[in-house]
Amino acid sequence: MTVAESYDVVIVGGGHNGLVAATYLARAGSRVLVLEKQGTVGGAAVTQEIAPGFRCSTGAYMVGLLRPEVIEGLQLATRGLQFLPCEPAVVALGQDHTALRLWTDSRKSQSEIAAHSAKDAEMYPRFLEFLGHFAKALDPLMVRAPPDIQSPAYNDLWFLFRRALRLRRVGTVPLQQLLRVPPMPVKDLVTEWFETELLRASLAADALLGTFQGPWSPGTAFGLVRHLMATADGGSWRFVRGGMGVLSDGLARAAQEAGATVRTHTEVARIMSSAGRVSGVETASGETIGAKIVASNADPKRTFLHLVDPAELSPEFLLQVRNYEMNGAVARVNLALDGAPRLAGDAEDLPPHFRIAPSLEYIERAYDDAKYGSASAEPFLDVVVPTVVDPTLAPSGKHVMSALVQYAPYNLRRGSWDKDRDKLGDRVLALLEDYLPGLERMVVARQVLTPADLESAFGLTEGHIYHGEMTLDQLYVLRPVPGWSQYRTPVDGLYLCGSGAHPGGGITGAPGYNAARQILRDWPRLGRA
Amino acid sequence: MTAAYLARARKKVVVLERRYVLGGAAVTEEVYPGFKFTVCSYVCSLMRPQIIRDLDLPSHGFEVIPQESSFTPLPDGRYLFHRGDEEDAFQAIAKFSRRDAEAYPRFGRLMAKMAKFIVPTLSMTPPNIGSMRISELRKLLALNKQRKELTEDELYTFARLMTMSAADYLDEWFETDVLKAGLCASGIIGTLLGPRSPGTAYVLMHHYMGEIDGAYRSWGYVRGGMGMVSESIARAARKFGAEIRVNADVRRILVRNGRAIGVELASGETLHAKIVASSADPKRTFLKFLERSELPPDFVRGIENFKIEGSSGKVNLALKEAPSFSALPGNGPQLQGAISIGPSVDYIEKAYDDAKYGNYSHRPYVDMCVPSTLDPTLAPPGKHIMSCFVQYAPYTLRKGTWEERREEFGETVIDTIEEYIPNIRKIILHKQVLSPWDLEQVFGLTGGNIFHGELTPDQLLFLRPIAGWAQYRTPIKGLYLCGSGAHPGGGVMGAPGMNAAREILRDWAMLKV
Repeated sequence: MTVAESYDVVIVGGGHNGLVAATYLARAGSRVLVLEKQGTVGGAAVTQEIAPGFRCSTGAYMVGLLRPEVIEGLQLATRGLQFLPCEPAVVALGQDHTALRLWTDSRKSQSEIAAHSAKDAEMYPRFLEFLGHFAKALDPLMVRAPPDIQSPAYNDLWFLFRRALRLRRVGTVPLQQLLRVPPMPVKDLVTEWFETELLRASLAADALLGTFQGPWSPGTAFGLVRHLMATADGGSWRFVRGGMGVLSDGLARAAQEAGATVRTHTEVARIMSSAGRVSGVETASGETIGAKIVASNADPKRTFLHLVDPAELSPEFLLQVRNYEMNGAVARVNLALDGAPRLAGDAEDLPPHFRIAPSLEYIERAYDDAKYGSASAEPFLDVVVPTVVDPTLAPSGKHVMSALVQYAPYNLRRGSWDKDRDKLGDRVLALLEDYLPGLERMVVARQVLTPADLESAFGLTEGHIYHGEMTLDQLYVLRPVPGWSQYRTPVDGLYLCGSGAHPGGGITGAPGYNAARQILRDWPRLGRA
Repeated sequence: MTAAYLARARKKVVVLERRYVLGGAAVTEEVYPGFKFTVCSYVCSLMRPQIIRDLDLPSHGFEVIPQESSFTPLPDGRYLFHRGDEEDAFQAIAKFSRRDAEAYPRFGRLMAKMAKFIVPTLSMTPPNIGSMRISELRKLLALNKQRKELTEDELYTFARLMTMSAADYLDEWFETDVLKAGLCASGIIGTLLGPRSPGTAYVLMHHYMGEIDGAYRSWGYVRGGMGMVSESIARAARKFGAEIRVNADVRRILVRNGRAIGVELASGETLHAKIVASSADPKRTFLKFLERSELPPDFVRGIENFKIEGSSGKVNLALKEAPSFSALPGNGPQLQGAISIGPSVDYIEKAYDDAKYGNYSHRPYVDMCVPSTLDPTLAPPGKHIMSCFVQYAPYTLRKGTWEERREEFGETVIDTIEEYIPNIRKIILHKQVLSPWDLEQVFGLTGGNIFHGELTPDQLLFLRPIAGWAQYRTPIKGLYLCGSGAHPGGGVMGAPGMNAAREILRDWAMLKV
């Protein structure tokens, strides 16, 4: 077989992490090729036209954890990236048409919360400060490869020790109280601090978005710490003007300007290797491309169970990958609206971000349904109306509304997602109609993305938006599988650079950034081959 | 336990027990004439061998009869039944899946290896994390040395066991639902967690810590009922010179200038002492026996947040004959060991769902045994006692009270058993139903929680009972916690008592007394 062309690095998949990795590797002087199956880059961070004149971030929809190393390092502001604030940060809707508005400014939130409970209003900023210590202490871990646990490198140990000392500044007992948090169910954490059910449920929703766990599940409190990393140091959750596609396009331009080649409409069918060493990739059209290094932006299951030759991987490793929990739990419903809907009983304007999760029990019951393989009879919804702050997405006076629907398990016990797609859409619309009367009449177009659709549209195995559950057993040194958390894989020269690697999912750019640095570290040894 | 160790160190000790019988929840009571009910705790395995040796318990009547078999009937008439030995287990599981039969011993060996790693930590006082004192750092180094005993794979396994659900972890090993259900059950006994709750894989492994004569995960009956555990420890304590008084109901711990000076009984009698060690649970100790004003506010808040919701009930039956299962009829070996009503993982998870929302399970998981089949001293000849441990029965009911609904709960349990033993109702001579509320009222278990508090990572080790106070000492000088609310937690281990005694003696030696 003759190799048509060859590069130093081939990146499988043009998702945001792959593009970040490509840019850093190209800047370091390597010849980089990014291969993307779809017609546009971005993976699940895309803007799509769901009806003529109506555009929407159909997958990922907000940004809060995008690394400064990426935003500033890649000069994204000069490449079209403009953030738009989301205020109020979220409006939690109660069943009796009550609404709790939470703002990025915690003092503003305080006065809103005071209407429900004076005690909660007092506790709220203290709660954020308490968890903020943790969030801030963990922040540097995002852009550092996890250590080797059997023989940790000296500077990894020193780094972690300094992190621990930093955290210890809060005092011995507060430190222990913080250490108590990660394994707790988020329900227990928010119930200890607050008495307002709507507030508890909204915080729980923050912790649970995109995961297949409920508020009663131990370990979910850590999800809240992670969510708060966006705001711990003065940041916020924001929209991208023009939708997430603008971010991905900006990343692609950065990569290209650094010298990388980005090729779309090119699906990688195989990662080629022999005798434990990667040699390149083969595309679906049969073209072969040689490479010293291949970095996969695809999720671990797709990478190791579909793209890599199983003979190159040990049975133990393959078993571990098969056991990697990726059962997706969310669906997306995107709507084009002919007008501006209003929240029932609310004089205020339509907020850019609201959620329907009136109580902890509501969320847990939704989770119960999914545990036994059914879509939630009463799902909880996280809904954005980006057109409130971004008029470029729809004609004047009209809107797009985009809902994250939880829970919708990829693996259904009965039926199939093909058959149940419309049922899910109808259920979501009926629920929205309850809280925004008159909405249904305004719907001009509706796009329902079941977990199966998320898989086929965005390449997310089992529809998991984070490339795998973000539970404590699949984080840090355990992600994606024990022993392989440093972006390297059992195939020499093959790396994982997507959300299936530390620090996991969400639009952070960190896995790509970290993988690139790991590759550059290994380069002297690999580059020679 | 603490009394025995302190008396052994020649301290003058008196134990004050509210009830007429010693043992807390490890008691044997003749609830129905002629029948000795092992009322709460029903099997023993986690008692530390060191304690059995130190106190010479066998000489005081402590004898364990191994409970070797495990029987799980299924609604469709099939069953999983295996006795202690590997060959037997292989055959029994192979009826369902040969692959699982082969994996089972490997699984057991790995769990035992993991459990062995934990065992020494049971007798350690937890380190005070964050403290830079030499004594604390030394504890951390000791733990680190423990860690080095494990291979890299085993370290990862341990991390995964601590963070995964029993169901997910077992899915990686086995395909047979009833086998997984039985193992999951040991992950949720006494907890308000379900088989799919992360962290239950650890509790499952915790149960492999049982050792009797060195055999891991072997559990056994105590001859004469669990009361003999308590009685033998009491005898050892008395032998060392401790005084034990029953019907002595402590109402208050007396404090002067931040120091414990004794206790006051319900009768009004006061006793003075240099040291007070409470084996009551943390909520009872700090929120009932003391005034809130005597404790720092943060401490009080921490104790208020300590999770101690009970989730279990107990139904004890006196039977006129041996029960007969329709899946495997007759008075055979299947009655001599552990019997589970828990045919699938979903069954147990659904039972848990009910509890989450403040109901007892409409179809509960039941862990049953008929110890009279091996210990004839418990019932008249030909008759039997059956002990049924029930999950889930949450302490806090959404509707009604336990006093109102106890009967109904008992009927639900009997209904469930009836699906497997059709004639159960005809052979019951006497039924005793203990709701979590009863466990609280009668046995002093706040919330009816059998472990004196949930065994979840946020309340274990250096966090048990709360952050900063995990070394048996309390904010009141001279007051110590020596029960299951302290490390290493519940189960009839004796470890908290032994560790507390050690810390008390250490403080005594350092003239802190």
